[in-house]
Amino acid sequence: MTQMMAAREGRVTPEMTHVARDEKVPVEVILEGVARGTIIIPHSGGRSKATRAVGIGRGLRTKVNASVGASSEGSDAGGEIDKLRVAISAGADTIMELSSGGDLDFLRRQVLEIAPVPVGTVPIYQAALEAIEQRGSIVDMTPEDMFEVIERQGADGVDFMAIHCALSLEVVARLRQQGRVADIVSRGGAFLTAWMLHHERENPLYEQFDRVLEIAKRHDVTLSIGDAIRPGCIADSLDRAQVQGLLLVGELVERAREAGVQVMVEGPGHVPVPQIEATVLLEKQVCKGAPYFVLGTLVTDIAPGYDHITAAIGGTIAATAGADFICYVTPAEHLGLPSAQDVREGVIAARIAAHAADLAKGVKGAWAWDLAMARARKALDWEAQFRLAMDPDKPRRLRAERSPGGSDACSMCGPHCAMKLISEYLGRKEIETC
Amino acid sequence: MTLMEQARAGTVTAEMRRVAEREGVDPEFVRRGIARGTMVIPRNRLRQKLEPVGIGEGLRVKVNASVGTSRERADIAGELEKVRVAAQAGTDTIMDLSTWGELDLVRREVLAAAPVPVGTLPVYQAVAEAIACHGTPAAMSAEGLFETVERHAADGVDFLAVHAATCRETIQRARGSGRIDHLVSYGGSYLMGWMIATGRENPFFEQYDRLLEIAREYEVTLGLADTYRPGCLADSLDRLQVAEMVILGELVQRAREGGVQVMVKGPGHVPVDEVSATVRLEKRLCAGAPYFVFGPVVTDAAPGYDHITSAIGGAIAGASGADFICYVTPAEHLGYPTAVDVREGVMAARIAARWGDLARGLGDGKSAK
Repeated sequence: MTQMMAAREGRVTPEMTHVARDEKVPVEVILEGVARGTIIIPHSGGRSKATRAVGIGRGLRTKVNASVGASSEGSDAGGEIDKLRVAISAGADTIMELSSGGDLDFLRRQVLEIAPVPVGTVPIYQAALEAIEQRGSIVDMTPEDMFEVIERQGADGVDFMAIHCALSLEVVARLRQQGRVADIVSRGGAFLTAWMLHHERENPLYEQFDRVLEIAKRHDVTLSIGDAIRPGCIADSLDRAQVQGLLLVGELVERAREAGVQVMVEGPGHVPVPQIEATVLLEKQVCKGAPYFVLGTLVTDIAPGYDHITAAIGGTIAATAGADFICYVTPAEHLGLPSAQDVREGVIAARIAAHAADLAKGVKGAWAWDLAMARARKALDWEAQFRLAMDPDKPRRLRAERSPGGSDACSMCGPHCAMKLISEYLGRKEIETC
Repeated sequence: MTLMEQARAGTVTAEMRRVAEREGVDPEFVRRGIARGTMVIPRNRLRQKLEPVGIGEGLRVKVNASVGTSRERADIAGELEKVRVAAQAGTDTIMDLSTWGELDLVRREVLAAAPVPVGTLPVYQAVAEAIACHGTPAAMSAEGLFETVERHAADGVDFLAVHAATCRETIQRARGSGRIDHLVSYGGSYLMGWMIATGRENPFFEQYDRLLEIAREYEVTLGLADTYRPGCLADSLDRLQVAEMVILGELVQRAREGGVQVMVKGPGHVPVDEVSATVRLEKRLCAGAPYFVFGPVVTDAAPGYDHITSAIGGAIAGASGADFICYVTPAEHLGYPTAVDVREGVMAARIAARWGDLARGLGDGKSAK
C-alpha cells in the first residue's frame, strides 16, 4: 500500500509521523497533504536499510537534491560513492543516482545501501545503455526493455523515479513547429524522442502509462514526471512546446493520483527573471498543486563555472513562488563531471536558496535559525557561529586562515572605545567590540 | 559648473555621450537622468582621462569591489593585486576602504592602479589619525573630518561615502529600538561613538553644506551611507533604518539643489520578501536617487558562502530597481578576503547584476562593453 492510499484511509504511517516531527507541524497536515497529493513522502518499502522519511510539498521546508553518477568517461564507482557521502554531509535531503556508465545495477545498489535519505533514479538511462550494449543502438531499445528496467529498479527499493511519460508525438510536433534554440537538453527526453522519431511510434511510457503506475504502486515508488523538453537556454523558456508538455503532465498527475501513486513534477532549466514565478504558478495550477521539483533554475546562460550561483538565484525565486524541491547545480554544470568539492558547493548553494525562500514563506523554524546566528554574531561567539553555520567547516577554516590574530578583544582605542560608548549609551550590559 | 548643472542647462557633455555609447542608449536619455539625479557619473574633475561609468535608472546594474588595508594586514602590494584581480574580473568601480597603515599612500596607489572610478570612506582615515595622534577616536575634530574629506577629493577620489544622516535624532531613536545587532557599519559606529563621547552633532550633518562645497569643487559624487543598515535579517526595515532613510532623502534633495551628484547606500541583511520593498522605499523617499546596496545577504546562516547569499539578494534588488551592487566575498564575517575571494565576489555580484539587467529589459547585449 502506498503512503497516499494509507493517507486516504486516514491511516497515519510511521513515515508521516516522522515527517510531522521533523517539520514541526501537526501530523494531520501531513496526512491531508499526502492524501491530496500536495505532499509526497518518497519512501519505498523495499530498502534493506532504514532511511530518513522526507516530506516534500506545500507548507514544508524546501528540500534539496544532489545528483551523483558515473559516466562512460572516467568517473568510477568509488568516486561517486565519495560524492554521495559529501552530499549527505553537506545536507542534501535526497540523492539521485544518474549513472550512465559502468556497472549500473551494482552502483545503484551501493547507493541504496549507503544513502540514509530517499534515492531517485532515471531508469531510461539504464535502458538506453543496455540497449546499446545488447542491441547495438538506443533506437533498438524495446518497450519491454524500458519496463523491465523500471521494474528492476523498483524492486531494488528506489524511492522515486524520473520518468519521461509526458512526452508524446504531439509534444514533439509542437517542439518542431516552435523552432527552438537549444531543442532538447534532457538526456532521457532526447533518447526517447530519437526512438519515437525513428520508429514513428508513440512514447511507450506515455502510451502504457498504466503499466508505469502499476509498478510504482507495487513498490510505492514516487513518480517524478520528467520534463523531457525543459528549456536549455533562457530564450526557450515557457515556449509552446514546454507548456504543451506541462499540460500532458497535468493529465498524468491526475491519473497517478487516481491510482494512489505519489507523484511530483520535474521542471526547468534555464528561465529568465520575469518568467520564473509564472512558470511555478502555471505548474501549480495545471498540475493541481503537485510538488514541483526544479533544476536550478538558471537565470542566465553566460556564467559557466558559476552556475551554482545562477541556480541559487533562480532557485530562491522559484521556491519563494512555490517550488518545493530544488535539484542542485554544481560549478561544473555545462562543463564536465563535478568533483566532490563541486558537489559540496552545489549542495550548499541550493540549501541557501531553499532556506532563503523558507524565510520568505514563513516555514516553521526557518527564522529561529537566523536569529540564533545573529545573536551568536553579536556576542562574538565564534564556536556558536560555526555550529550554526550551514557548512561549519568552511567558515572555521576561513576564520583560521584570514583572521590569524583571531582575538576578539580590541586594544585599538583604549578607554574611549566607540563600541563601548555606544553600548553604554544604548543601555546594554555587554560591551560591544568592533 | 558641475556635471549636474550642465545637464540641467541642456548640455550633453562628452562623458554623458560616452556613457550613452557604452550603455547603448540615447545621450539625451543620459543627460535627462543626470539632470534629474536618477543617474550619476562618478568622476572627479581631476580625472578627465578616466573612462566614465554611469550608474542609475535605465542603465546596466553596476558592481563595486572593495579593497583595503587593515590592522591585521597593512600590505599595500597585496591590496593592489586585489585591485588588479577585481578589474580583470569585471568590476565597474573600486572602493578603497583602508582602515590602517599608510592611508594616503594606499589611496594614491589605488587611484593610480584602478582603471575604474574609485570611492573612499574618509571617516576611516580621520579615525585612524585621531587614534595615532591622540590615542582615541574621540579626539577626532570636525575640522579634521573635513580636512580628510578635502584631501581625498583633492587626490582625485570619484565618490565619497559619508554617514551624513547619522544625527542626534537618530541616535536617540536607537535607544530602546530592540535591535538584535545595533550597528554593523564601521564608519557609522565611530561617528556615533564620537557623538556620544563629545555630546556634539555629527559634523557631516551639521555642516552638510560644507560637504557639498567640496563635492562641487572637485565634482565628487556623494554616496550617502547608512549607519543603521541591518546587520541581521531580524533588523531589516525596522524603524531605525527607515528613520535614517527619511533623513537621507532630505539630504539627497539638498545635494541636488546644490548641483551635486548623489547616490544612497543601503542593506545589509534583508530577507528575500523584504528586498523589493526596501528598494522601492528608497526610490520613493530619496526621489529616485541611484541605490547602492551592500549585498544584500538573504540569510544569516551561511558564513563562508556569503558571496552566494548576497548574489541572491543583489539579483532581486537589481530587478527591483537597485542600481549598484557592492560585492560580498566568501570571507565576509570571517576575515580579510584573498585575491581569489575577490574574484569570486566580483563574479557573484556580476551574475546578480546580469539578472537585474535582464529584469530591466537590458539583456539583449546592446552594451558596448
